[in-house]
Amino acid sequence: MKLGILLTSSPENENTNTVIEISRAAREKGHEVSIFLMYDGVYNVHKKEFAELAGKGVSIAVCALNAEQRNVQKVEGILFGSQYDHACIAGDVDRFISFG
Amino acid sequence: MKKITVIVRNLPLNTRRNSEALRMGVGLTLREDKVTVIFMDDGVYSAAPAVPELIGAPTLKKEFEALPMMKCTMLADKPSLEKREIKNLVPNVKPEDRDEIVRTITGSDIVIPF
Amino acid sequence: MQDMVNMTTELDLRGEVCPYTFVKTKLKLEEIECGEELIVAFDHAPAVENVPGNLKNEGHKILGIEKKDDHLWKVRIRKA
Repeated sequence: MKLGILLTSSPENENTNTVIEISRAAREKGHEVSIFLMYDGVYNVHKKEFAELAGKGVSIAVCALNAEQRNVQKVEGILFGSQYDHACIAGDVDRFISFG
Repeated sequence: MKKITVIVRNLPLNTRRNSEALRMGVGLTLREDKVTVIFMDDGVYSAAPAVPELIGAPTLKKEFEALPMMKCTMLADKPSLEKREIKNLVPNVKPEDRDEIVRTITGSDIVIPF
Repeated sequence: MQDMVNMTTELDLRGEVCPYTFVKTKLKLEEIECGEELIVAFDHAPAVENVPGNLKNEGHKILGIEKKDDHLWKVRIRKA
């Protein structure tokens, strides 16, 4: 199954841990996971857990405009993309969960 | 084609969440999915005419132009409007009964409360 | 009669950000014929990084990206 996750809250919110745990569990069960970070969610991009998820095959994209607005620097392995990328995730997945 | 519903529920002037929800709504139309934006609770204030630029807040002009152009439906929850005595809405936002709002949400493939 | 393949339309998207950079490019592409070219001017770096890839994903061909100065790029697209 393909799972899409939107995260719009900052790392201080408990949503971050929920997204990490769900993504980790889904990957361990062999599901495809795509995460899109936008609004304050872009601040999560520097958390080491997200780099670990990317290393385990989780596809992570960030709204480049929101990142630029917040002076969030690029991270290797994470796509600094567009709202079009978000639309692709929403269109392609079997299940989509939003955390904000 | 998926049915995607974005729900706007916050007061508009103390957060950028509402303007970002609408910008995201525009983006979600780009893969030919059917996008609906629902304004409810305090979010209905975002669907009423306002001049946010007077306090340096983002104007929603561009979003309200682009969303209908991209065939996005915009609905405002009638009970939320009545509770706040909002009579006027920006063009292309339609007041809708709660039953229809619920039908739209439950009939969606994806619901994003922003 | 003018050769359709050589027809080029220009679109100035300076001042626009995501997703309007893509939305307006897409709408302009809908106005022109397949095989025609569109040149779009952007002044937002993330748009130059993302819009060409997104257009390729939609089947269009990117013929070139020209950097005019630090804040101006021109992307040449052929409509699929």
